[in-house]
Amino acid sequence: MQQDRNVERRTILKAAGASLAVAGLGATATACGGGSGTGDGTVTIRYAWWGAEDRAERIKKTIALFEKKYPKIKVKTDFQPYLDFWKKFNTQASGGNPPDVFQNAIGFLRKYDAKNVLLDLGAQVEAGNLSMDGFRAGLEKFGEIDGKLLGVPVGSNSMALVIDKPVYTKAGVTPEQGWTWDDYDAAMKKIRDKTGRAGDTGPYNVMYLYDLYLRQNGKAFFTEGGLGFTEADLKTWWAKAEKAVEEGLYANQKKVAQIKPKSAVAAELAGGEFTWDNFTVRYTSEGKSEYGLAPIPTTDGKKTGQYLGSLMLSASKRTQHPKEVAQFIDFMVHEPEVAKIMGYDRGVPATQAQYDAFKPTDPVNKAIAEYEESLVEAGVLEPITPHPNGADICEAAFLRIGEEVGLGKRSVDDAVKQFFTESKTALGA
Amino acid sequence: MGTTVTHAPATEGLSKDKGSEPRHGPVTPPRPAALKRRGRRESLAGFLFMSPWIAGFLLLTAGPMIASLYFAFTDYNLFDPPKWIGLDNFSEMFADERWRHSVRVTLWYVVVGTPLKLIAALGVALLLAQKRRGQAFYRAAFYAPSLIGASVSIAIVWKAIFSDDAIVDRTQKIFGVDVGGWSGDPDMIIYSLVALTVWQFGAPMVIFLAGLKQVPRELYEAAEVDGAGTWRRFWNITLPMISPVLFFNVLLETIHSFQIFSSAYIVGGGAGGNACGPADGSMVYTCYLYVQGFENSRMGLASAMAWLLLVAVALVTAVLFWSQKRWVHYEESA
Repeated sequence: MQQDRNVERRTILKAAGASLAVAGLGATATACGGGSGTGDGTVTIRYAWWGAEDRAERIKKTIALFEKKYPKIKVKTDFQPYLDFWKKFNTQASGGNPPDVFQNAIGFLRKYDAKNVLLDLGAQVEAGNLSMDGFRAGLEKFGEIDGKLLGVPVGSNSMALVIDKPVYTKAGVTPEQGWTWDDYDAAMKKIRDKTGRAGDTGPYNVMYLYDLYLRQNGKAFFTEGGLGFTEADLKTWWAKAEKAVEEGLYANQKKVAQIKPKSAVAAELAGGEFTWDNFTVRYTSEGKSEYGLAPIPTTDGKKTGQYLGSLMLSASKRTQHPKEVAQFIDFMVHEPEVAKIMGYDRGVPATQAQYDAFKPTDPVNKAIAEYEESLVEAGVLEPITPHPNGADICEAAFLRIGEEVGLGKRSVDDAVKQFFTESKTALGA
Repeated sequence: MGTTVTHAPATEGLSKDKGSEPRHGPVTPPRPAALKRRGRRESLAGFLFMSPWIAGFLLLTAGPMIASLYFAFTDYNLFDPPKWIGLDNFSEMFADERWRHSVRVTLWYVVVGTPLKLIAALGVALLLAQKRRGQAFYRAAFYAPSLIGASVSIAIVWKAIFSDDAIVDRTQKIFGVDVGGWSGDPDMIIYSLVALTVWQFGAPMVIFLAGLKQVPRELYEAAEVDGAGTWRRFWNITLPMISPVLFFNVLLETIHSFQIFSSAYIVGGGAGGNACGPADGSMVYTCYLYVQGFENSRMGLASAMAWLLLVAVALVTAVLFWSQKRWVHYEESA
């Protein structure tokens, strides 16, 4: 019995030892996780963005440059595809552990400001750690919401009609600045009749295009607090689309869905589609044809409703190192060498210094620069539509429900009702 | 918690047994205090050994479950503190057309997928129950998919197989069927999910095989003497004799089907940024739950959905248990 008891004691000791070891491991892990500052004054900041492998390669090189200039700041990186990025960010931010600095876009500024996640970089500008001078086309104001600087633009994009050039040529269509929706509809018919291909992937569920159409008519997709259009407006828009799909002017949505993630233009299902101007880069690598940029059709022959959109860098309110984060952002938007590495990957560079530092030599990137310059010359650019808290969910619903109309899965009336129901929930939350 | 309660008396019983052998040692009267102390120490050891499991259960399962029960009655967006809203989440759910659609998709999947899977499992089990050459190989080969089938990688492969211009699409074109890839088709994607679950019939098959082995040979011999054909023997002997096993499989697979998530999420994901397949074609219940919780940040609503699913599955299980009186035959022996 004595022996029995010994065994028992030993076992307990062992178990206790094991628990201690586990606890110890836990402590080490915590130490690693929290170790953003070390004895010698070196700080580590976490930087997260969405994108693919090629963007990661470029960003890695720019970070190497940054770390060379600021040897006391180390940058830890993390990236995912767009949708996964926001899921992970949401989870991290709600758990109080967001990255110190991250890629952002206009649609998310109010959302995360309302959730108290974004750092007002204004104080860092005043402290001289971040310069907001030297931006092109008024871009320095893009990340300002209610007087707070919540994001710093790294590049600009604008909506465009991306076309399959040979298809448009074969149909005998030459879009010019100021062409109207009637011209566009006629062009769709010509393309269908002469090339046997649908004229467009289908503009009806692209939120950013419908926004332009509404702006041409004195409205907008969003107001500061809600939707800027009525159910009747959307019914007209989707009813026109339903008919165009039936007539083969817009691509068969089923085929469009099936060939994803490839785009319908690159897969030769459609002659063009409305999207951001830097997408020609993607289509060129995906498809066999030659792709170009055409102007947005207008309602009155002048106004396109266009504005510059932009990717930004934002800082998290909980960062321990606001100064270093500001220095990082400053470097990324002003350093000419960064522009040479990044090219037009995140749009045309936002600052004049970076814009001048990178002059594209390939026809695709050249065309993007020319397109944005032509917009400035034509004087069609206007202030951006506000994006209220919940705008991202509205955009997803618009895309999905519009697709269901195109697929014939929903009647227009039903779809409009569903979109307004979902949007009210998203914007009211 | 349940385990710990049952465990404590067991240890006590053990120590009492050991304590009641004073014959071998010197004649000492039993010392209840010492025994008690020892019993306590042993149960302490027991608890200590279980502590990783208990900690895991409390922190990772019980705690979150209780929290989610509370969240189910709140408006909770992960950032702001939860706000009590009573049953509003539930009334919103019932009024939500997308939610009703997800219920329909899930029920369809359960009602079509589960029987097909079980029929496949039983059919192959019947074939494999016969003695033939290479039997072990066939059993292993048919069982293998259910080992790997639930994995993310297989779902990715499945998506590739059923996407546009992939092997399924090309094969059906040979036969003049040109409907394109299934995983991008709002009407067809659910069939590819059913195919995925049916393909994993290995697990219920093994259980059926075990059940078939238990059926006494003499019953078949007697039936054969009486002139019963193959079908008759299956219907009147095999099926009733394996009905407990069949019940077990029906129960397990039904519950399992209600919980489908990863395969639907992966096969349906990526199409147009929609997590639930084109035009919500593969939006099973858990997929919509995920969208509400993680895409729309509505954790309160998502928790309510999760609890409703739990209750629904419990009800279905209860109905199945109740129904077994009518069709499950337990051997009344010994």
